[in-house]
Amino acid sequence: MIIAVSGKGGTGKTLISSLLIKSLKGSGRDILAIDADPDSNLPEALGIEVKRTVGDVREELKKDAAAGNIPQEANKWDILDYKIMESVIETPEFDLLVMGRPEGSGCYCALNNMLRKIIGTLSSNYDIIVIDTEAGLEHLSRRTTQNVDIMLVVTDTSKRGILTAQRIGELSKELDISFDESYLIVNRVKQGKEDEILKKVSETGLNVIGTIYEDEIVSKYDLEGKPLINLPDDSCANTAISKIIKDLNLK
Amino acid sequence: MFKDIPVDVSPMYEGERIRSANMFIELGGPKSSGAELIQVAEDVEDGSLEVVGPELSEMSEGEIYPFGIFIQIQGEKLEKELEGVIERRVHELCNHVKGFMHLNQRDQIWCRVSKEAVEAGFKLEHLGKALSILLKEEFPIIEKIAVSLFTEKSEVEAFIETARAAYDVRDTRAMELSDEDVDVFYGCVMCQSFAPSHVCVVTPDRTALCGAINWFDCRAAAKMDPEGPIFEVTKGKVLDAEKGEYSDVNAMVSDRSQGMVDRVYLHSVFEHPHTSCGCFEAVAFYVPELDGIGIVDRDFRGETPLGIPFSAMAGQCSGGKQIEGFTGLSMGYMRSPKFLRADGNYKRVIWMPKEIKNSLTDFIPNDLIEKIPTEEDAGSIKEIRKFLKEHEHPVIERFQQAKEEVEELETVEEVSDEGRVVGAPAAQVAYAPELSMAAGGGVKIILKNAKIYAEKVIIKKK
Repeated sequence: MIIAVSGKGGTGKTLISSLLIKSLKGSGRDILAIDADPDSNLPEALGIEVKRTVGDVREELKKDAAAGNIPQEANKWDILDYKIMESVIETPEFDLLVMGRPEGSGCYCALNNMLRKIIGTLSSNYDIIVIDTEAGLEHLSRRTTQNVDIMLVVTDTSKRGILTAQRIGELSKELDISFDESYLIVNRVKQGKEDEILKKVSETGLNVIGTIYEDEIVSKYDLEGKPLINLPDDSCANTAISKIIKDLNLK
Repeated sequence: MFKDIPVDVSPMYEGERIRSANMFIELGGPKSSGAELIQVAEDVEDGSLEVVGPELSEMSEGEIYPFGIFIQIQGEKLEKELEGVIERRVHELCNHVKGFMHLNQRDQIWCRVSKEAVEAGFKLEHLGKALSILLKEEFPIIEKIAVSLFTEKSEVEAFIETARAAYDVRDTRAMELSDEDVDVFYGCVMCQSFAPSHVCVVTPDRTALCGAINWFDCRAAAKMDPEGPIFEVTKGKVLDAEKGEYSDVNAMVSDRSQGMVDRVYLHSVFEHPHTSCGCFEAVAFYVPELDGIGIVDRDFRGETPLGIPFSAMAGQCSGGKQIEGFTGLSMGYMRSPKFLRADGNYKRVIWMPKEIKNSLTDFIPNDLIEKIPTEEDAGSIKEIRKFLKEHEHPVIERFQQAKEEVEELETVEEVSDEGRVVGAPAAQVAYAPELSMAAGGGVKIILKNAKIYAEKVIIKKK
């Protein structure tokens, strides 16, 4: 089961992703969180320190190959496989893979081709994978999210956030990427403004699966840099996500 | 066959990963050490199996232990050269054992045993047993096999030393492997999404232009993914051994480039050079004024002696085009003994950035190192010529010979040298490796290595 969380930058993808992990962990299933946003902070939201990302590993291997530091006969697939496994951060309750920095200059065709297969194999070992995608639409056009089962599109109440959500819905249709299910989550809704907002977001063509009210405590955690995964169980953001998980039959 | 082994053994478990949360113990890997080695030996006691050091039953959960896999094989048809190929299978075969994870190769192995396997009664001894059965099954030329597994620190450390010495021998042999030693090369069309007529031909002496994959990588990739973008190509008839032209390679390139390119010289920039994708690590370019070859790599930001930077040159000769006088290449190819062999190897190289020259000191012949200028020694063609003459670079014989043949060369040189027509100052305003001009009467004029000079450039608004 692969769940991807997408939307415009700053709408709350990382909040949703980290709370999904929070609600899913402890259920005895193997969970992998993938941070696919080069500029994201899912590790911080999960309270995890990252030493080396997939991007770092890719860069290292490229440099080593150019410098001739890898024995001719040694298999680069297996070296990359090992290094990727090494960059997986393992916790008792879930694992985390951080994609990290984007490509530098030069050719990454061969390395990316290997990476796709390696990450595919790695992912097949998990029961549930939660991907915090990069902001915007890139992940669709590059087809990095084409095997996703559930696409959760996040928007805040801004016009731009809603527009991006709408485009995600349209582009996936255009590119013929059919997610089994895709839903909209509306974040930072002001109390009493639900109806107005729900009317506005209906333009996106996506079914709303959850609304999260503006929450002081989330802003406080953000401000203090506290891991969002430690938000209280009864915080409104957390109850909203727990409900979504129940509605999606994920628990 | 595996009835003594308490866990399932099947290819379906390949790719199995054991999360630290589900593992009983870890062997080798980034936090410990380990190695694996297969060696052809005499007097192998068939079926022999030993675990030197603690067995799984004597280990404590969550711990990390050093690990060594040493397999000796014997058989009438077994040769030393096959050790590496057979050893590469250890990774896959270990992964056939359910609950046993194995990553990577040589002295970088990383294994884990799942809690579930240990609960089922699995022991390292069973891994050894599975390996000996599977290897014999896969390689019937193995007549006798003995497996030793080490988990005792001192034993593993001594074993790693032995293994490293064996890898060194193998690497030296792999370095010496040349185009003549193999029956097949590999083609790669991974870059065709943006360079539709580009086909990389990867041989032991020529790594792919991107530098990411060599002949050995292609061999592994073609086997893992036979329908993939990397495939085997037979050599066919050797049409020109020096230039590296093969009939089957030509046929494959023609087929895969949709007929755009039908001949390829693997080791020359002239006539039919290897096509260039766009993501090559470096470009070799012919400098007609000096009858020599310059090299520039992607990281070099300045201008080349042709008056344009790497990026502009890459733009002009990429996209799968075959342009005489230009070829994309990898850093690895510059370390190859066949590097532009047909053109004279480093004897023909007249300029390269300092950084790559420094990285190639072991590969450029000693007597040439001081004779090849870098951006610090010379920038313009005139400066390079001066440097080459002062340092007696072998290429000066070539242009001296040419001078004797063509008397009026002196004046021609004047022109190209300074980039000016005598008496009228002019600047180079355009450069193109290939320039097509429409002409009347159904004729097309193609200028190769065109440099356009003008006394005045006027830019007008329409």
